[in-house]
Amino acid sequence: MKSSYNSHVKRIILGLVIFAVVGFIGKEISSPKSFGVYGHYRADAIQEEADRDMRHKTNTPCLPCHTHEAGLHKNGLHKTISCEFCHGPMADHITSGIKTGELPVKKGEEIRVLCLRCHNRAIHARPGDVIKTVVMPDHLRDKKVKETHTCNQCHHVHAPYNYIDQAKQALSIKEAS
Amino acid sequence: MNAAHENAITILTNYVFPNDLHVHWSMMIALYPYITGIVAGAFIVSSLYHVFGVKSLKPISRFSLLFALAFLTCATLPLLFHLGRPERNFNIMLTPNPSSAMAGFGYIYMLYGVVLLLEVLFIYRPTLVYLRKKSQGLMEMIYRALTFDSTNLSPESLELDRKIISFLAAIGIPMACVLHGYVGFIFGGIKANPTWATPLMPVIFLLSACVSGVAGIILVYILIKTFTNKPADTDCVRTCTNYLAGFFILDFVFEMLEVLSHSYLRTAHYHAVDELLNGPLYNSFWIGQVGILSVIPLILLGWLCLTRVNDTLFKIGASLVSFMLLLQVVFMRWNVVIGGQLISKSARGFTVFHPEWFDKEGILTAIVLMCAPLVVLFVISRIFPFWMEEMDEG
Repeated sequence: MKSSYNSHVKRIILGLVIFAVVGFIGKEISSPKSFGVYGHYRADAIQEEADRDMRHKTNTPCLPCHTHEAGLHKNGLHKTISCEFCHGPMADHITSGIKTGELPVKKGEEIRVLCLRCHNRAIHARPGDVIKTVVMPDHLRDKKVKETHTCNQCHHVHAPYNYIDQAKQALSIKEAS
Repeated sequence: MNAAHENAITILTNYVFPNDLHVHWSMMIALYPYITGIVAGAFIVSSLYHVFGVKSLKPISRFSLLFALAFLTCATLPLLFHLGRPERNFNIMLTPNPSSAMAGFGYIYMLYGVVLLLEVLFIYRPTLVYLRKKSQGLMEMIYRALTFDSTNLSPESLELDRKIISFLAAIGIPMACVLHGYVGFIFGGIKANPTWATPLMPVIFLLSACVSGVAGIILVYILIKTFTNKPADTDCVRTCTNYLAGFFILDFVFEMLEVLSHSYLRTAHYHAVDELLNGPLYNSFWIGQVGILSVIPLILLGWLCLTRVNDTLFKIGASLVSFMLLLQVVFMRWNVVIGGQLISKSARGFTVFHPEWFDKEGILTAIVLMCAPLVVLFVISRIFPFWMEEMDEG
């Protein structure tokens, strides 16, 4: 190809212009349609998030069926804890009023792991006056039980002081204040 | 000390918020400013010749541009390794956000890349035209594309090229400074981190960029010349070392000034910065970065630049200093990026960073990523000859 003194410069400029135009068209085509309507995000995302099926549904739908647990839970120290916190989301259990799956009930060693998620003194961020925390296995030694004991052998998981209060009542033990 | 106080002290010390345990910006984020720093520094070396007319740097004026280009091609790799969804990286170009410094990266990087590539192509045009005539097949096709199919080397054409080169080199300097200064700006703009939030951060990053760039050029230049049994241009190495000394003095002064101003002003959370530098970072900051890798190179640079050292000894000394300063900048990036994240937002405790060998962002990845620009440099050297004298011989 015959080239004049500035033909390479012309070709470079042409190349840059094509690069910019293709880039701009590519940006327009690939940009989400509703981007920037309200701010620096996709406006459609709001509706998409709102349309998402709820996974957690509070304690209200649990208690009418699980009446035994409801009675204990409502009167125990754990009354403010959501069922789903330990058992998993409601959506895995009931869909449109029909039972679709079993939720896990922790047993044995798993119980200890679950309880210590909140009651472990190693977590300094927990305020001691709100949540009672313990150091394991010191707590088991203090209470003079085997170190293999799991939490739910003394504490009812729905009402932690239930058995303990009953035992104290039966033996007429008074708290030393 | 009674039991109650002991308990209080245990609770008050090393109190790390649960969400501060993990260092999110890993080694990749330390590596990224290191690589862009080398790009900016190497570009400035070439600009010293092309814009400021430092004639003694002529032998490496082309090499330093290609050195910058090789590192620029790999600058985004650490970021892609760091991203959880690297395929979304183009979103910063698709939905540009003018109010975010970090989101500006895509455009800053692209514009700088275009300027650097054009400067290389214009500077090399006479060479590429010559090589095009000599080569055949695939290489001929490559040279044809790189010369934009123009073989015109008339004085008029070369004069036009000269003007364009000056223009590109001139706008390249502020762009190189922006490319790297803004990395420091991002760190300096993080108000919640007491070691980062200082207006000195972009200046320190920029100066350390110049140091790593010049040091990288000196070391690789001397190594290539040694291994190819060609004499390295002593005057050029001496000039480069003088610039290295100048940049490093400024860099080190600003690094120390930052610590000094924190210390003298007793800025907010100074106690945390103090405990950090004298605790978890004592070895990597005071011993590594400041003691071994700054004070010793300063003494060596003083010896090299202020006394009459014979050529052979000078080259050995310059290589050693360059190597130490390249390490100094690695330590500096580590201490700023990783070190800064060790302080918990509680300002009462430090987390620990455990780099892993075979992690996506681990040590092996970091080593491979640091070797990648040198491989690219080798590939580039097959297309663009580094040295003018080879062309003269040709």
